[in-house]
Amino acid sequence: MTVASALSRRDLVRAAAQRSLTRRRITGRLAQALCAVAAVASVAPLVALLYYTISRGAQVLSWSFLVNAPTPPGIPGGGISTAITGSAEIVGLALVIAIPIALLAALFLFERSGRLAAALRFSADVLAGVPSIIIGIFAYALLVLPLHAFSNLAAAFALAVLMLPIMIRADEEAMRTIALDLWEAGIALGARRGRVARSVVLRGALPDLVTGNLLAIARAVGETAPLLFTLATPVAAMTLLIYTDGTQAFPIAQETAWGTALVLLAFVLLLSVAAKIAAWRISRRAR
Amino acid sequence: MSGDPIARPEPLSLVAEQRAAANTAASALTHGHPSSATPPAVTLEGVQVSFGDHVAVRNVTLAIPARQVTALIGPSGCGKTTLLRAINRLHDHTGGSVEGSIKLGDIDVYGADTRPELIRRRIGMVFQRPNPFPAMSVFENVVSGLRFNGVRGRALLRDAAESALHHAALWDTVKDRLNQPAVGLSGGQQQRLCIARALAVEPEVLLMDEPCSALDPIATAKIENLITRLAADVTIVLVTHNMFQAARVSDQAAVFLLGEDRVGELVEAGATDELFHEPKNPRTRDYVAGRVG
Amino acid sequence: MSSDTTGVLPREGVAVSGVRAALLQKRTRLGEHAYTVVRWGGAAVFAAVVVALLISVAGSSSQALTRSGVGFLWSGTWNPAAGEYGAGILVVGTLLTTAVAMVIVVPIGLGTAAFLSELAPGWLAGPLSTLIGLLAAVPSIVVGLWGLIVLTPIFANQVEPFLASMPLLGWLFRGEAYGPSVLLASVVLAVMTLPTMVALSRTALAAVPVADREAALALGATRWQAVRKAVIPAARSGIQAAVTLAVGRAMGESIAVAMVIGNRPALPTSLTAPGATLGSAIVNQFAEASPGLGTSSVIALGAVLLLLTVAVNAGGQALLRSGGGHRAGTAGALR
Ligand SMILES: Nc1ncnc2c1ncn2[C@@H]1O[C@H](COP(=O)(O)OP(=O)(O)O)[C@@H](O)[C@H]1O
Ligand SMILES: [Mg+2]
Repeated sequence: MTVASALSRRDLVRAAAQRSLTRRRITGRLAQALCAVAAVASVAPLVALLYYTISRGAQVLSWSFLVNAPTPPGIPGGGISTAITGSAEIVGLALVIAIPIALLAALFLFERSGRLAAALRFSADVLAGVPSIIIGIFAYALLVLPLHAFSNLAAAFALAVLMLPIMIRADEEAMRTIALDLWEAGIALGARRGRVARSVVLRGALPDLVTGNLLAIARAVGETAPLLFTLATPVAAMTLLIYTDGTQAFPIAQETAWGTALVLLAFVLLLSVAAKIAAWRISRRAR
Repeated sequence: MSGDPIARPEPLSLVAEQRAAANTAASALTHGHPSSATPPAVTLEGVQVSFGDHVAVRNVTLAIPARQVTALIGPSGCGKTTLLRAINRLHDHTGGSVEGSIKLGDIDVYGADTRPELIRRRIGMVFQRPNPFPAMSVFENVVSGLRFNGVRGRALLRDAAESALHHAALWDTVKDRLNQPAVGLSGGQQQRLCIARALAVEPEVLLMDEPCSALDPIATAKIENLITRLAADVTIVLVTHNMFQAARVSDQAAVFLLGEDRVGELVEAGATDELFHEPKNPRTRDYVAGRVG
Repeated sequence: MSSDTTGVLPREGVAVSGVRAALLQKRTRLGEHAYTVVRWGGAAVFAAVVVALLISVAGSSSQALTRSGVGFLWSGTWNPAAGEYGAGILVVGTLLTTAVAMVIVVPIGLGTAAFLSELAPGWLAGPLSTLIGLLAAVPSIVVGLWGLIVLTPIFANQVEPFLASMPLLGWLFRGEAYGPSVLLASVVLAVMTLPTMVALSRTALAAVPVADREAALALGATRWQAVRKAVIPAARSGIQAAVTLAVGRAMGESIAVAMVIGNRPALPTSLTAPGATLGSAIVNQFAEASPGLGTSSVIALGAVLLLLTVAVNAGGQALLRSGGGHRAGTAGALR
């Protein structure tokens, strides 16, 4: 390299830097503004959803709406009590099935490393992405078809299958982040693994376990597709009621759908906010 | 503090003396005038950097001569990195606030109409750990700065890359794998790639923050050689906590120590051989003798 | 593990008499066995569920699949009345709605992630991402209801006529503006996949070491150049994972799509025309399917959907697992 070419290159780079700066800055400003617009666009749907659900739902919402049973079309005074209790029953049943299995499977993953655990973990992650409608088909093929009966049990089974992978991964994560040192301390003291797991890990990870499971519940409560294949009547669950009434052309049916949507949304958002607060308090305490 | 094992047997002052003698001869040849006559490239006056209400380093007044190696030395935590990052305005992005005056030539680095992007092009930086862009090839890494600065043209970029890689003593090693990912290089090669990347935009000043601290002795020696040679073209500010390294490569040195209140401060600055030979400040003497830090 | 401490922590153990200790030891050993058994049991039940799901979906669709063979995948007509069952058109509809949804959600999601991780001050980024996270909690049925009742008239009266009148792209949206359409379904899908896209790409961007940003800045890059050329490329595999998982989610959504797509199992002639996807067709056809071949064909649509989504999700998970590992230990500001 000659001195001359170096000198000219230095001048050239200096000139290019200076010349391009305005363009670079304007491009940057523009791109940054677009990112801000994107962020606004990302928040807008939530705001719109909340706004419509609350404003339309609030018009129907009343005590009798919550506690009255549905009435046949055309007869006023109907409520959604069966859908609320139905949803609660199905989700409750699903929890009874899913929570213990998920907890044990998570303990299994927590204590094992290697190919088997990795494969299980991977299938949990993939199963978590399987469309809920497929899980509805599964419950239908496994429980409804052979028994020739739609049932809350079949619906609960579907929701349990839906929650399982989410819970397993959340539970394992909870055990890992909170309890690894406790676990090792317990083992070092000579306590047996079963006892360590029961007393130390589960107690230490409890708040995180609660958070993860709350989120899984929130997800399950809002599911519709699996219920389509497992429940006989739409008034047996909130989501199904929203679907059937919301797709009717009658204003009254649509009002019921909005009212139910508000109840459902309030419940689900409450659950996720509770989970967030729990997680936040835990992380603050950990610091 | 870890001294380089190769250099340990030699007394510090001797190392610095040899270096000074060699440098005077060299600079007399290349520049035709003694080093003391070169005007300062960077001038710091009453510089203080703080994070919130925590002052990291204060009251630094220092002239950094052009086309020489100036070493900032001192124990860990005394604000060397913090001061270095003030010079190219990297604190604009870390929440550190800089007071006092820093000048590049006669341009106020923090002046109202000084563009940080243009200042940073003129004051390059090499970081403590090699940080090539992981998604880019060797070639793309070297020319990345040129692209940032709006330089276009395939031939131009190729020439610039080759010349920068030559300067960083890396050309022969990577000329056959210019299109391979930069993260495939060894640590020392990555650091020299970062030096080439910094040189490619033709900076006047090169800030180097403990560039060898993540490297083995052989890679360290290569970079030290490089620093000495680069000083013919570029003003170098080298942060190191290795006094032997400072003695081997620097013309000027500035010693930073923690004050009573655990704030970093400049204790003494001057020609490296004098500083190590006959330090004026008793705290420098203790530090150089290995009694503090 | 020493036997004398059994399951009792030493502090209590000191007071335990020899006989009791022996008894306890026996009991805890039993407990230990029981614990192992139930732990394996939990894992086994889960594995069994996965296997049973695959078998029962495959089994229940076998009648349809043996009749039409692999041709089921691309046979173009879905006409139960005529006894014609083929998934081809529905696969196309699924891919089309998903693709359009991605065209909407990828730039918006990535821009939002960049804003949250690189540009916004902390006091803004935190609450904003919490809000976007809440969107993930909104049940798809509520999004569907909103799409159906609120968006449909807006699309029919304003959005679709406007798009059709656009100079260069108008042909994509030509035809009568109904409201329910492939486009509306894609918008609903975009809303539903947005939280996934934002959260995962934000995580990927945030995992890029500060050193990469500073390397760019120190060369004279503007802040945006640093984001665009240093940060986003370094986060590439994480962003790809985000898109892939969003694709999986979009392909699998059924109920909300069924509410807004217009449910016409034919090749859409424009984006504003009604269409159908695998999921929406399952929702709509299931109740009316005739027992036997009809039901089996609907379930076979599920099998096709399962195949598609599992492939996509497995890819996404693999990407997630492959990302991030490079140059560990360089995170955080260098001092
Ligand atoms: N980004 C930052 N935020 C807050 N404090 C910082 C930051 N960077 C450096 N400091 C503080 O400045 C002081 C000097 O640090 P540093 O410049 O890294 O020292 P050195 O490079 O000499 O080891 C330390 O007390 C450090 O905690
Ligand atoms: Mg430092």
